[in-house]
Amino acid sequence: MEATTFERAPMIAITALRVLVGWHFLYEGLTKLTAPSWTAAGYLKQAKGPLAESFRWLTTRPDLLANADLITMWGLTIVGVCLILGLFTRLASLAGIGFILLFYLAAPPFIGYFYAIPSEGSYLIINKNLVELSALVVILLTRSGRFAGIDRIVHVVIRRRRPQLAGA
Amino acid sequence: MADEDDKRKGEIPTAPGAPPKLGRRDLLMGLSTVPALGLFGYAWSRQQQYRRGRAAAAAATPAAAADLQEINVALLGAGAQGQVLMEAMLRIPGVRFRAVCDIWTEYNLRRVVNTLKRFKQEPNGYADYREMLDKEKELDAVIVATPDFWHAQHTSAALKAGKHVYCEKEMSNTLEGARSMVLAQRETGKLLQIGHQRRSNPRYLHCYHKLLGEAKLLGRIVTVNGQWNRAVAPDLGAPDRYAIPEATLKQYGFKDMHQFRNWRWYKGLGGGPIVDLGSHQIDIYNWFLGAPPSGVMASGGLLYHDPKTHEWHDTVMVVYDYDTPAGPAKAYYQTQTTNGSQGYYESFMGDQGTLIISESELNYAGQLYRDPNAPAWDDWIQKRYVSAPKEQEAKEQSESGAVADVRESVAPDQHTVPVSLRDPYHQPHLQNFFDAIRGKAALNCPAEIGYESAVSVLKVNDAIDAKCRLPFKPEDFKV
Repeated sequence: MEATTFERAPMIAITALRVLVGWHFLYEGLTKLTAPSWTAAGYLKQAKGPLAESFRWLTTRPDLLANADLITMWGLTIVGVCLILGLFTRLASLAGIGFILLFYLAAPPFIGYFYAIPSEGSYLIINKNLVELSALVVILLTRSGRFAGIDRIVHVVIRRRRPQLAGA
Repeated sequence: MADEDDKRKGEIPTAPGAPPKLGRRDLLMGLSTVPALGLFGYAWSRQQQYRRGRAAAAAATPAAAADLQEINVALLGAGAQGQVLMEAMLRIPGVRFRAVCDIWTEYNLRRVVNTLKRFKQEPNGYADYREMLDKEKELDAVIVATPDFWHAQHTSAALKAGKHVYCEKEMSNTLEGARSMVLAQRETGKLLQIGHQRRSNPRYLHCYHKLLGEAKLLGRIVTVNGQWNRAVAPDLGAPDRYAIPEATLKQYGFKDMHQFRNWRWYKGLGGGPIVDLGSHQIDIYNWFLGAPPSGVMASGGLLYHDPKTHEWHDTVMVVYDYDTPAGPAKAYYQTQTTNGSQGYYESFMGDQGTLIISESELNYAGQLYRDPNAPAWDDWIQKRYVSAPKEQEAKEQSESGAVADVRESVAPDQHTVPVSLRDPYHQPHLQNFFDAIRGKAALNCPAEIGYESAVSVLKVNDAIDAKCRLPFKPEDFKV
């Protein structure tokens, strides 16, 4: 049976990082959920980069767009709650990485790209989306939910009931 | 000692061979970030409170007054425009959605009903408007946002069922249809508001009543210029699995799903961009000039889009003649759907000043230019009717270094209209409609005004075909 050990100070820092990223996700999700007719259509129509055509095509298909809107609104909200609580942390981190990767690819700050919507900073290839994505990679790899989060309780319960699953 | 180390490193302790216990430390660490979620909840509720406070302060009428008469509404037509209206109505206190009707039950209807349920509304869904009018006895008003060629039938049926009606512009795609709506309104005595929402926009109202009416800042308006340039947009698609059955489409006047989704481009269903876009702005020409036009010349055609799927003109240029109470005027208008640069605006040019205005809060949101020969505007600046002039540095040379010709006019002072709208563009017009139902306001765009606009706009397509000036007679605008 493996023992899980954590260096305390770095883990506290990573847990704080997880909560902050989770807060951001949760707020992004809730603001979209509470706007009566929020849609990603406007954002997608401005898409640039290698996937621009696909994003723009999505805006012409109301059924797909509606699903994309729904997945975005609820996905961000759920990922946010999970990250704050440290519940299913690795799954939530993975989903968060997926979301941010798509946001990044829809509006990448590549050389020679100019956007009409002003950003709050100045970016060259790397923007805050990518930084947040990297934060999620760190959270994914360090299992911070098992240090401070509901995953810790879930993990102990699973180990008690199904020892063979404990390593999963 | 080992236990001390475990605590220091935050280790989950395990005894060899024994299942782990859920210790106090595990519980504490496991729940340690829950307060962060509580903190988020607190911040979120404070922010919602703040937003509600701001919305209430900005609203024309106080929110949720205790004696506010609740108005039961039905949304007839739950497509893109219906959803825009729904979003605006959700922000208006005292409005209760009782029903939603749309023939695209699997998509539009479901989407709107579900959205409304999220906002604690409980509307019944219908595919057939007659069934809705039959069953929903408690309705006070019907909001009609169906394709233009259905407006007359839907509006007249709702009026005759004893409901007040807010009908999207264009009133109808035919003059006969528009006339029947005016007659139905007169016959029933119910309210009929036409959705030329700029008529209730506070910036337009400020310009009409204060700048043009009271202060007469522009002097005599001689020329008007306006446009709505829109970029090429792909045809609207529809997923096969949500397609409306062919028999239903035919029953409601559509050839196929493509036509249902893109009805604005088809003759007999919509009126093309001059009606969809131009109607809003030509209505403002009539309003600000104080008269409907006396003649129209127009040129237009399908220059770019595929004629198989686009029957109406994608490009239209119009010149109207006006005999205004102050004298003759000419008004130019263009709409095109192949390039969106410079967007949309209306520009009124008088002998003392110019007003450039649009519904947009981002572009052309009320610019004024005082002609150097006009009387000073200082009094109006002090009254806050207009902003102070923008300070301009005297330039002897242009930026490129070229010297300006001495015969060029002196640059006019630049001012702005200090009125903006924070709400969705349609909200004040809907609010005016609901206020009128409560007997607290007069409609800003009743049926007769909507009819004048319909006559002015629908004639453009006739003028394009005629290739000559078509006159309007005063009786053309009367029903």
